Amino acid sequence: MRRLVRVLVVLSVLACAGHAHAQDRPRVGVLKLTASAPIFVGVEKGFFKEFGVEPELVYFQAAAPISTAVAAGQIDVGATGLTAATYNIVLGGEKMWIVADKGREWPDHRLTAIVVQKDLYEAGVRRVTDLKGKRIGITQLGSTFHYQIGNILEKEGMSLRDVSIVPLQAMAAALEALRGRQIDAVILPQPFPGRAEADGFGRIIAWGGDLFPWQIATVFYSRKFAADRVRAVNFMKGYVKSSRHYYDAVLSGTQGAAYDEVVAVTARYTAAPEAVIKLGLPYQDRSGRLWVEDIARQMTWWQRHGFIKATIPLKDVVDTSFVEAAVKAIGD
Amino acid sequence: MTRIPVINRAAFLTRPEHRGLRVIALVSLLVAWEALARTGRVPVLFLPSPLGVLAEGWEMLRSGELLGHLASSLQRLVLGFALGAAAGVVVGVTVGFFAAAEAVGTPVLAATFPVPKIALLPLLILWLGLGEPSKVAVIALGVFFPMAINTFTGVRQADPLLVRAAVAFGARRWSVIRKVILPSALPMIFAGLRLGAGTALLLLVAAEMIAVESGIGFLILHAGNLMQTTKLMVGIVVLSILGVLSHWSLGRLERLAIPWRVST
Amino acid sequence: MRVVVERVSKVYGDRAGHAVRALDGIDLAVDTEEFVAVLGPSGCGKSTLLNLIAGLLTPTEGAIWLDGELPPGRAATAMVFQEFALFPWRTVQANVEFGLEEMGLTRDARARRARRYLDMTGLAGFETKYPHELSGGMRQRVGIARALAVEPPVLLMDEPFSALDAQTRQLMQEELLGIWERTRQTIVYVTHNIHEAVYMADRVVVLSRRPGRVLAEVKVELPRPRAEAMLGEPAFVHAVERIWSLIRDQAVQALRE
Repeated sequence: MRRLVRVLVVLSVLACAGHAHAQDRPRVGVLKLTASAPIFVGVEKGFFKEFGVEPELVYFQAAAPISTAVAAGQIDVGATGLTAATYNIVLGGEKMWIVADKGREWPDHRLTAIVVQKDLYEAGVRRVTDLKGKRIGITQLGSTFHYQIGNILEKEGMSLRDVSIVPLQAMAAALEALRGRQIDAVILPQPFPGRAEADGFGRIIAWGGDLFPWQIATVFYSRKFAADRVRAVNFMKGYVKSSRHYYDAVLSGTQGAAYDEVVAVTARYTAAPEAVIKLGLPYQDRSGRLWVEDIARQMTWWQRHGFIKATIPLKDVVDTSFVEAAVKAIGD
Repeated sequence: MTRIPVINRAAFLTRPEHRGLRVIALVSLLVAWEALARTGRVPVLFLPSPLGVLAEGWEMLRSGELLGHLASSLQRLVLGFALGAAAGVVVGVTVGFFAAAEAVGTPVLAATFPVPKIALLPLLILWLGLGEPSKVAVIALGVFFPMAINTFTGVRQADPLLVRAAVAFGARRWSVIRKVILPSALPMIFAGLRLGAGTALLLLVAAEMIAVESGIGFLILHAGNLMQTTKLMVGIVVLSILGVLSHWSLGRLERLAIPWRVST
Repeated sequence: MRVVVERVSKVYGDRAGHAVRALDGIDLAVDTEEFVAVLGPSGCGKSTLLNLIAGLLTPTEGAIWLDGELPPGRAATAMVFQEFALFPWRTVQANVEFGLEEMGLTRDARARRARRYLDMTGLAGFETKYPHELSGGMRQRVGIARALAVEPPVLLMDEPFSALDAQTRQLMQEELLGIWERTRQTIVYVTHNIHEAVYMADRVVVLSRRPGRVLAEVKVELPRPRAEAMLGEPAFVHAVERIWSLIRDQAVQALRE
């Protein structure tokens, strides 16, 4: 019995020690997708370490749980898509801060596409307006894809009521449903549209970024992490540097050695083939600055469609001071 | 001569009903929960207060949203339950009464019974499409197995004396099944119905995860996706109420259908 | 209707697969309107014999005949069971009507017939009760009413009062005799109780231990209608003693098994 007690005491001390050690490394929640490339590159090339911060990457399967984890304080930083859940969490009383850009749907940057079932395409469904009355697959209601398809429809003079939105929970499931002709179209990010065309069962009719640009993904800070000002700004310095490196390597037009390196690093972190990585590298602001007005617009849209109860004043959910402080410190 | 009083040594074995205690316990739990939520020590987003859930529920009832979800779910539930139960009774009686059917049926039942019906949902969607049929089918399957197995057991347990008496009074095969076997099996059949009801609710929530636009399971999942935790709790409460109601109504139905105690 | 049992043997396989000879070469004839008791120690096959006569078992050797006029659609025999065998999900009246349903009578005809025999067996007022609400004696009354309702020429009774207490049994015996005076079927009455056999029957057929053979047939020289006072008469006592002496050794051996 006494030996048991001794063992338990040693174990708990070790556990505490381990926990204490973890406090020095901010936990960063990301998806194992191409879209997280800037962060992978930053970690790999030591941009965060330079400023005394070493991110511990925590992988998730979907965007919404990352927001929940940030709100619960289980992770310090989230870097993923903005969903209705994000706003509901803040409305529910759990503060967190949207602090930097991590991806935008942007013209000429092919990230998310509307893919139509091949037979329907050949029967004449070629434009968004032809989607009237059709069944469109998405992952979940309240997701970024939901927002995107809703706004694209409205831009073309239609509404969500003109189509049937079919939630299929997972991206792969949505693709399979298209292949099996159980739905008429899907809206999915690369590499899924590319795969649909390559396998011959789908045809891309529009790219989201061309039709409706928006601030799709951001970096968030938990309330606790944001309160530790010095550490939070240091992290942001690392992020801004990573963002600039990514922008210069991938988005500035020339695809040289730096580009290949980014692709290689991302391929390693996501275990996806390089060809697939190259298809889905997103656009973001060079210094990671937020498109703040778009966030307000998002809230208005979600509220109008009944997915959130009220909009939040921007000052209560967005904090651009971290990016500005970081940019000021490291210069241009 | 000394007088020794005889005392009841078995007194500790009596089980008082404690009816008052039940109610008090439940109410205290709710009160404690509400108090905890109000102190702010547990974030309301993570654990909505009972009054908050009540208020949200009332709002959803008033706007018709709740009734809409209930109607969709009940439709799937009732249809799936009826189909599964009917098929289960027929198969159970057939396998129980006919030796050849038993030889063929019991291995098949034993082999397919352990498969979790939730796992079959993707397959059913492939076969029956994304619409209502696949959802009704998975519920029906979940109800079918306890019904078939319980009916079979009930049939096998039919008192042979009663079967003999029926034959002695001129009953042939179908009369025996209708007039002796089935009434004998009713208690087991009702036990199967209760099991099936629980399974049906479980499968309903699973089935409403994919490609539906309304339903209680859908409400729970959808509210979860949106982090509308109060609505989520409303969904859970409604689901619990459904569970309790189905259990209670099956109990009443059983008392109506089986007015006798099972004794020869 | 006469019942003729001709050189009947019954062999069946027990759980271990051995052949068990329950009855061996039984010859028995029961005359029309005769009340015959079949008596013997445990395991003598008397219930088996009754089931054979009822057509619920097939003889291994020999044959069984029923001699007499039988209208089409009518059953020749009806049985009353030791454990009552009432259908617990049916009311008293519905139980009595069971055999009539199989005969194809209309609902009204069934109800009328049932009510007649319910009255005859003292069950008036109990029509809507369920078996579990009745005492043992009342339940067997229902069993008797059910059998009588099909108006069988031959009534088969398998230790009908064994499950009842002694007082109820005595009263039910007298009641049955009273009913029989009116309905006058041929009765084959199985019992293990010598006093009961002698009190009820015209003739007692005594069977041996397994394999059951006819040891003797004892005629009961008592007038009808039987009365309780006859229990002390010499003819009664003599018959009982005679039967007991026949089966005493058998009973002792059965006890040892």
